[in-house]
Amino acid sequence: MKIAVLYGTETGNAEMLAEDLAGELEGDHDVSCANLSGFDPAGFDAGTFYILVSSTYGDGDLPASAQPFAKAVEAKAPDLSGIHFAVFGLGDSEYHETFNGGGEKLAALMAARGAVQVGERVTHDASGPDMAEDLAFPWARQVIEMAAGLVGEDA
Amino acid sequence: MSRRVAILGAGPSGCFVAQALLKARPDLRVDILDRLPVPYGLVRYGVAADHQGTKAITRQFARLFERQGARFFGNVTVGRDVTLEALREAYDAVVVATGLSTDRRLGIPGDDLPGVHGAGRITRALYEHPDAEPLPPLGPRPLIVGNGNVAIDLLRLLAKTSEELDGSDLGPGPTAWLAGSGIDEITILGRSPAAAARFDAVMLKELGRLSGVSIAVDDLGTAGTEEGARTLEALSALHGHGAGPRRIRFVFARRPIAVEGDGCVSGLLCIAPDGREERFPATSILTAIGFDGETATAESGAAVRMAPGLYGAGWFARGPRGTIPDNRADAQALAAVILADLDATPASSSIPGDVLACLPGTVTYDGWTRIDAAETAAPPAGRCRAKITGRAAMLSLAAAPDEKETQP
Ligand SMILES: Cc1cc2nc3c(=O)[nH]c(=O)nc-3n(C[C@H](O)[C@H](O)[C@H](O)COP(=O)(O)OP(=O)(O)OC[C@H]3O[C@@H](n4cnc5c(N)ncnc54)[C@H](O)[C@@H]3O)c2cc1C
Ligand SMILES: Cc1cc2nc3c(=O)[nH]c(=O)nc-3n(C[C@H](O)[C@H](O)[C@H](O)COP(=O)(O)O)c2cc1C
Repeated sequence: MKIAVLYGTETGNAEMLAEDLAGELEGDHDVSCANLSGFDPAGFDAGTFYILVSSTYGDGDLPASAQPFAKAVEAKAPDLSGIHFAVFGLGDSEYHETFNGGGEKLAALMAARGAVQVGERVTHDASGPDMAEDLAFPWARQVIEMAAGLVGEDA
Repeated sequence: MSRRVAILGAGPSGCFVAQALLKARPDLRVDILDRLPVPYGLVRYGVAADHQGTKAITRQFARLFERQGARFFGNVTVGRDVTLEALREAYDAVVVATGLSTDRRLGIPGDDLPGVHGAGRITRALYEHPDAEPLPPLGPRPLIVGNGNVAIDLLRLLAKTSEELDGSDLGPGPTAWLAGSGIDEITILGRSPAAAARFDAVMLKELGRLSGVSIAVDDLGTAGTEEGARTLEALSALHGHGAGPRRIRFVFARRPIAVEGDGCVSGLLCIAPDGREERFPATSILTAIGFDGETATAESGAAVRMAPGLYGAGWFARGPRGTIPDNRADAQALAAVILADLDATPASSSIPGDVLACLPGTVTYDGWTRIDAAETAAPPAGRCRAKITGRAAMLSLAAAPDEKETQP
């Protein structure tokens, strides 16, 4: 499957995870990995499955590198129907009420333009005991399996 | 032969520069020095003990040494163990990322009275920096001057109950110091109006989950900006929070003019917004108004080339302002400049050998992993780590097992 891993980050944790994830999936799929800061929402392609990895900042907001993307999606309002995506969030439960607000906002942003979310949104907790990759790798295999029959179907 | 870069200081800035360099050129030889036996600078000795999530960034830095080929040389002080000149001769590029650590003084009469302490001094002692001065008694009414996140960190730690410190890496000495502090009331006072306070809203919200406090916020005022409105919203949500025994009082728009006290702090004299003098009684004053070195000239985002092949990064270059993410962005910009400069200059054929490898007493990355393992192997209940506090103990743990055997 064609997979694009796109990340939003501030201190690099999401970037490291996205790169690890791309490396992990590379053997079985055609994988690319890029920062959301350089991604043009006009470039979404129905033949690709998008795995979005994003941390959370401010008060449950998107991290700096995902902000231009979010603004562009809001401004250009692209039609994303037929696009399939999954979201893996990074957050810190120390920030209680806004835990993983970034991943949540990103998912809502995509869904509002008609894109279809595949699988559950899973969040890594920086204050928790798990390594991000230990959560993300099995999750990714699962969402990819779910996406297999969907991506590019009626593109 | 691969080009060589030495980075002085293994704090976030030094590590982020190394990360950006090695991402672009995995073949570079990158050596990171620190005067401490342990890496990561203020991530270990500044970021709050109860914010372990923020410290998780060290997983990225560990990769530099574990997978990307960077080498760590701890316990090396430039100027004492090796000169900057020798490093500049031995490396194609030298990056100074040594941070800044002196607390800024209030600059008003009485600011040198016993009982006035800089936040840097207190946080270094709380987090058991090997060079820290002992933790001083604060008395029942400490007053924190400052409107930034470091002020909030201090306030939160002073206000937490023992149970609320579970999961942190606060050591037994500081834990006992906090438990025995006998604090009744903490005043946190700033010069600017509430809306202009530099607190992150999330940091304020965190205070709203403390169980042993009762919080009052004076003089909320009005906001002119969206950011200010957010701060006010978070502050007004705090007003009236809790019915715990430890009182917290936020005071804004007060300009300190003198520390009062006869031999020891008894209060802070300020000018109130209406121009009148106002006295705030205090048994100690903690200043969290930044760190000295505002003379550093670099604009945020500007890469700093100090001389050919010599660069400055992070708080050393920019002044002690800005968070870990700010340092990452700056480090990436600086790395691009260094790489362009390396490409523009021919590799020297007469570079001396490994000037660091022959230094006695350096701590390698493996040495640090032995310290780290000792700290995390069996932490006490409610703690995720028990920091080794003294240099001698660190060095002895860091020494490779076979090195230890050969010692008399
Ligand atoms: C109390 C406090 C709390 C903070 N909390 C947060 C937070 O929660 N989140 C956040 O994003 N930011 C926080 N910050 C800001 C953050 O710590 C800084 O932005 C960051 O650490 C600056 O990185 P640096 O590498 O420039 O300096 P430092 O982290 O200070 O690193 C400098 C390194 O250089 C070494 N060094 C010094 N002199 C020499 C020498 N002569 N030779 C060799 N090595 C030397 C030091 O030992 C140190 O390891 C906090 C800052 C403070 C002071
Ligand atoms: C200033 C600051 C604010 C944060 N705010 C939140 C938040 O509101 N919710 C949350 O879940 N995590 C929050 N986090 C935690 C980060 O999302 C988490 O540390 C993540 O691993 C960072 O990933 P990154 O390095 O890719 O940016 C915050 C972290 C910082 C430093």
